[in-house]
Amino acid sequence: MNGNTCNLQSPASKKAQSHWAGVWRQFRKNKGAMAGLIVVLLAILTALTIGFFVDYDEHVIRQNIPMRLQPPSLEHPLGTDELGRDLMVRILYGSRYSLAVGFGSVGIAALIGIALGAFAGFYGGYKEDVVMRLTDIFAAIPGLLLGAVIVASLGASLTNLILALGLASIPQFVRITRASVLTVRDQEYVEASWVIGLTGRKIIFSHILPNCLSPIIVTATLQVAQNIISASAMSFLGLGVPAPDPEWGALLSAGRSYMRTHGYLTLFPGLSIMLIVLALNLLGDGLRDALDPKLKR
Amino acid sequence: MIRFVIRRILFLFPVIIGATLLVYFILDLAPGDAVFALGGDQMSEEELIALRHELGLDRPFIIRYLSYMQGLFTGDLGVSLISGRSVLETYFQRLPMTLRLAFSATMVSVLLSLPLGIYSAVRKGSIQDNIAMLFSMLGLSMPNFWFGLILIIVFSLHLGWFPSSGYTGPISLVLPAFAVGTGLTANLTRMTRSSMLDVLGQDYLRTVRAKGVSERAVVNRHALKNALIPIITIIGTQLSIALGGSILTESVFAIPGVGRLMMDSINQRDAPMILGCVVLTTILTSIILLVVDLLYAMVDPRIKSQYVRRGKTS
Amino acid sequence: MSEKVLSIENLVVHYELEAETVHAVNGISLSIGKEETLGLVGETGAGKTTAALSIMRLIQSPPGAIKSGAVVLNGRDVTGLPIRRMEAIRGKEVAMIFQDPMTSLDPVFTVGDQIAESIALHEKLSKADAMKRAEEILELVGIPRSRALEYPHQFSGGMKQRVVIAIALSCNPSLLIADEPTTALDVTIQAQVLELMKELKNKYQTAMLMITHDLGVVSEICDNVAVMYAGRIVEVGSAKDIFLHTAHPYTEGLFNSLPNINARVESLKPIPGLMPNPAELPPGCAFAPRCSYAGERCHTSKPVPRELESGHIVECLAYDDPSFQIVRRWGNG
Repeated sequence: MNGNTCNLQSPASKKAQSHWAGVWRQFRKNKGAMAGLIVVLLAILTALTIGFFVDYDEHVIRQNIPMRLQPPSLEHPLGTDELGRDLMVRILYGSRYSLAVGFGSVGIAALIGIALGAFAGFYGGYKEDVVMRLTDIFAAIPGLLLGAVIVASLGASLTNLILALGLASIPQFVRITRASVLTVRDQEYVEASWVIGLTGRKIIFSHILPNCLSPIIVTATLQVAQNIISASAMSFLGLGVPAPDPEWGALLSAGRSYMRTHGYLTLFPGLSIMLIVLALNLLGDGLRDALDPKLKR
Repeated sequence: MIRFVIRRILFLFPVIIGATLLVYFILDLAPGDAVFALGGDQMSEEELIALRHELGLDRPFIIRYLSYMQGLFTGDLGVSLISGRSVLETYFQRLPMTLRLAFSATMVSVLLSLPLGIYSAVRKGSIQDNIAMLFSMLGLSMPNFWFGLILIIVFSLHLGWFPSSGYTGPISLVLPAFAVGTGLTANLTRMTRSSMLDVLGQDYLRTVRAKGVSERAVVNRHALKNALIPIITIIGTQLSIALGGSILTESVFAIPGVGRLMMDSINQRDAPMILGCVVLTTILTSIILLVVDLLYAMVDPRIKSQYVRRGKTS
Repeated sequence: MSEKVLSIENLVVHYELEAETVHAVNGISLSIGKEETLGLVGETGAGKTTAALSIMRLIQSPPGAIKSGAVVLNGRDVTGLPIRRMEAIRGKEVAMIFQDPMTSLDPVFTVGDQIAESIALHEKLSKADAMKRAEEILELVGIPRSRALEYPHQFSGGMKQRVVIAIALSCNPSLLIADEPTTALDVTIQAQVLELMKELKNKYQTAMLMITHDLGVVSEICDNVAVMYAGRIVEVGSAKDIFLHTAHPYTEGLFNSLPNINARVESLKPIPGLMPNPAELPPGCAFAPRCSYAGERCHTSKPVPRELESGHIVECLAYDDPSFQIVRRWGNG
């Protein structure tokens, strides 16, 4: 579905500029996507600047037992947790982990996946076969299980979580990149590049990949959303960011023991995950519509 | 057709062998090996070496892997370090519960999504369509396990309609099936809608209308039959997602299936059990996807005849 | 010519889009008698297909809508019929053959099923009987009955068009609309399909509306011809009128852009310019901007139909001057 988008774009770079302007014009019309973009930007801003406003040791992890399990109030808008820490501060601070894992893991997956996918799609033949069969093998293991095994083996930490989810997302990028490259590869301007004697690598980077960006961007956006959910799931299982760091999944795990009496400990971290994932999904959908008018309904 | 089936089944083997190698390799990277799970920290260096030798852990990686593969094909995946019971037996003992849950969740999703997706596509742009799309977007953006927790809070802790954890009978599967099913429904509704929209724009429906076929039959008979072909693949994928996600669902609801088994094994560092769970679940999901592929080929006359013809000539 | 199978009066069809209103059909009138064949000729985008779909009430709505006028089919106006009644007429009284046979058959039903569906629906036959009839019709269009159990993708383009023809004729309609039925086919197949249609039309005594931009097809099969331009019928008459006594400058242009086998030395003389955007039609005659005879008045006032001889009607202001004559490049009658 995404594979055939490339030929819509002009290979010429001058036209490419007006292409992106057109995409932006199209994107701006989509209210949901704009809302998504704003929420994502706000979340990134929060994650980047929260460290200037709150002190990690003082506000995020310091226990304050007398104030434990306070329901939402003016002083603590989202209440306090089982160790008396302000839930809102912890959730805001937690955005750093969720976004780091989401973007970090997709960064790793995109880097490796795009390279492999472009290689496979461009050269074809046995090289393609080898890459695609390896991808099949990778994709055969359910993502969450692969992530769990990696973390179980290497230990639970933020880095390992990023690594685990990153590795598990590689197949997506290999497949989407290869499919796009295949549609572009045989077009005349690529053949022309061969004729004027460009090397394979140069053709891939300057003529093929720029014309395959649309489906890759869309996939990346949706994958960030997916990996933020997966990260919270792993932390919930104790396979992600370890305590006392306030990763959202870890907050859910901690709040679990108090579900009956203190439901807000379960409600708010989950809503936070949902909000950022919803924003990313809307953004991804909006990008898909804007980048590929053919698919718009 | 038979050749096609056989070829696809043969294709499964390299995938399983490769996936097993991958998981085996990753678990081998773990700093402490199995002897620590057996209380190795209290043993002397000599005892450790002896125990490693006894378990075959001192052999080179590739030899150990090959002997594991040999075991896989003869149905011997070793024994649990904790309980000492056969990995294979334990897995299959737990599997029915997980399958029941995965099937129920997929069922929920299919029963809700198909009518919703079709309706949305036919009434595209209507208020009902927009509401359905809004809800499926929310469902898609929600962590399933969190929704499960919310369901527990509302329907078992507060209303007391369903048990909150453990398995006491089919009623215990209602909440988990809905928790997983809601996420799947969100996805499948969108897919059904877009597949239907694709088909509704096709020229051949105009021919059908020109015959005097009623709009209802155009949608339910002609459009749906065409739209279902890609949807079948998605339903199969969902079943395998539900299986893969069992580790999470079963932890939330304390359902004693293979997901719970795997989580316990990870916590107890029971390497053979972890390995067995991952390998067997991978094989299972691969088989499901294979069946879906074959089903797809059978439903779509274009693909079917292609293989029938190829089978005859090659 | 006594009893009309179809008569269209002042039909207006618009597509109302968000940004603009496309004036696809702007008040056309035409009629077809029993067993008669009318050719509807014009460039792509002239509104021919929209007119045809309006007869079937198959215009996609929204955005399409029949704004005014009447479509009288076998004596009754169908424009206001409830959809249930219309469904009973479609396929039974009026059937349609579409342009591209590659996309006009449902890929997941056998061709037999697709023919039988229409029969079972309108003739109230059982499934088995309908299937038997379907096989007979398949043979009639030159396809062995054994192939009824095959799927569309197993047929070539020409064969598919034969299947579409079989579907259209399965209930013996009194009017057959053929929307460029041979355009998408290979030249050699075109002649075969055309021959088949002619033969079946005579056999079933069906009236036909043949939409085409191929004047060769028109001369082959049509009794009468209507020339359509920018949603108007600019000239209508018998085939003889149109071919030998061409009156409208546009019709002349159509003939002049054909290669002439008798005068190979001459180069083609295409009509200059493009058809106007149907969302922004000019105030006067729509053809005026491209017309070599156009005077000042042509750009400001709309021409009205004028009957030159009995049944030969032209819509052109130039004929206000009784001495006006167009100059055909060849065979000027």
